Amino acid sequence: MAVNGAQIVIDRLSHMYRPPHGKPVLAVDDVSLAVGEREFLALLGPSGCGKSTLLYLLGGFLPTETGSITVDGKPITGPGPDRGIVFQHFALFPWKTVRANVMYGLKRAGLPRDEQEKRAQAFIDLVGLHGFEESYPSQLSGGMKQRTAIARTLAIDPEILLMDEPFGALDAQTRSLMQTELLSIWERSPKTVIFVTHDVQEAVYLARRIAVMSARPGRIKAIIETNFDRRDPHLFKSKPFVDKVDEIWDLVRAEAIKAQGTRST
Amino acid sequence: MARIDDTLAPTGAWLQGPRFASVLRACGRQLIAWSPVIVLLIAWEAVARSGLVTPFMLPTFTGVLERIATDTASGDLPVALGMTMWRALAGFFISAVAGIALGVAMARSRAFNWFFDPIISIGFPVPKIAFLPIIVLWLGFFDLSKITIIVFNSIFPVVTATVVGVRGVEKELIWSARNFGTSERALTWDVLLPAALPQIFTGLQVTLPIALIVGILTEMAMGGYGIGASMQTASRFADSLGVFAGIVEIAVVGYVLVKLMSLLRARLLVWHPEALEPTTA
Repeated sequence: MAVNGAQIVIDRLSHMYRPPHGKPVLAVDDVSLAVGEREFLALLGPSGCGKSTLLYLLGGFLPTETGSITVDGKPITGPGPDRGIVFQHFALFPWKTVRANVMYGLKRAGLPRDEQEKRAQAFIDLVGLHGFEESYPSQLSGGMKQRTAIARTLAIDPEILLMDEPFGALDAQTRSLMQTELLSIWERSPKTVIFVTHDVQEAVYLARRIAVMSARPGRIKAIIETNFDRRDPHLFKSKPFVDKVDEIWDLVRAEAIKAQGTRST
Repeated sequence: MARIDDTLAPTGAWLQGPRFASVLRACGRQLIAWSPVIVLLIAWEAVARSGLVTPFMLPTFTGVLERIATDTASGDLPVALGMTMWRALAGFFISAVAGIALGVAMARSRAFNWFFDPIISIGFPVPKIAFLPIIVLWLGFFDLSKITIIVFNSIFPVVTATVVGVRGVEKELIWSARNFGTSERALTWDVLLPAALPQIFTGLQVTLPIALIVGILTEMAMGGYGIGASMQTASRFADSLGVFAGIVEIAVVGYVLVKLMSLLRARLLVWHPEALEPTTA
């Protein structure tokens, strides 16, 4: 499935998850997918369907064993700053302040100190954390922690943004604010975004294309295009939006039930 | 400026000021915190003066304090204390550096873990002090053999605390650093050690009193200058005042060291959620 002009090409990718004690589990099964430059794609599926595993393979945190993943034609060999990742539980360095966290990637990139500081400040301001530069993560709310993590990742200017249920650990109000903010950041500086979620409404709202995954072993069950005016304040109540959410819910529901079934055996 | 004026005010207004009240409260809290120790010392003094026991069995606490004062003035105590501290702290620092290095290596490398894990498991509960006669044969009577014994005893808690701490570092934290291009070597300094610091520091806090105790034991067994050796000599000459002076000195030194460690911990771990909780004592 080589697609001309695609930035990320996943070709017949499978992955066995081998727990330290227990039988190996097929987490990702024969997935092929192409993602264009500056596309916002959601990977949607029930929990445990292998969507995070797919994201970790893209990040280079897990080795590609069967199949291939290429970015700009080059196979992935390991983690790298061209693919910035944002985790569900933030993964901030708790011993560093907000400023030092955001500066870390810039320091590793070899930027001079004053440049690091300037750039870090710009991204702290961008995510609305002005005034919290010297706070430690343990002093911040969940939403502020995730803003810090997003600033830290955006600061290194990755071509691709990998997001692993980034708003999953936040309360409903914070989540909805963060979704709107993520969209406005993305509209100002578009990047390729791969956004893992199990929240159908979130996927329909944020993504331009949704890859619905099946219950384990994770396969791509359907790819659905969406296009809504995200600035419409009544979008969530509009008929086309609600219909789209329902349509995708029907696909996901079947898989979620299956996932429940396999969980209890 | 107002504060200085307050303290200089001769009218006694300061005595009613809010600062005086807070100082008074702090003193009160300290008094309550220390009252069990004070009660114990008063009981000691009372029993020693009551005639129930001979001064040889239990000298008075005030007599012991006098003895500590004369030993300090004569220079005996500073020399003994200096020697004990030098060996205990040298042993502690060697244990800290070597123990953390070994712990990180064991947590990150299968080969290291395969080799050292059984050795650590067997070695930890063994009374290492039992090797003293052999160490004396190998290394002699002086500082080298004493410090070696101290290291043998105090390295174990550091190694195990470091292994547990480094193994417990969240996978996502490591991935996060790798994502920014951090190499495996830089990872140790950038992520593993700071993330494991709470556990590692607990290991160090456990091991510092061990270093002191073992240091004093080696002096008692092998002689040489030091608080333990002075106590042994005092005991040999039936000088019970000297023995009790040693016990009080060790208690004070041990307390100060433990307190310094917990202050250092609070300094180093300002970022840790534990720093946001109220402290005890």
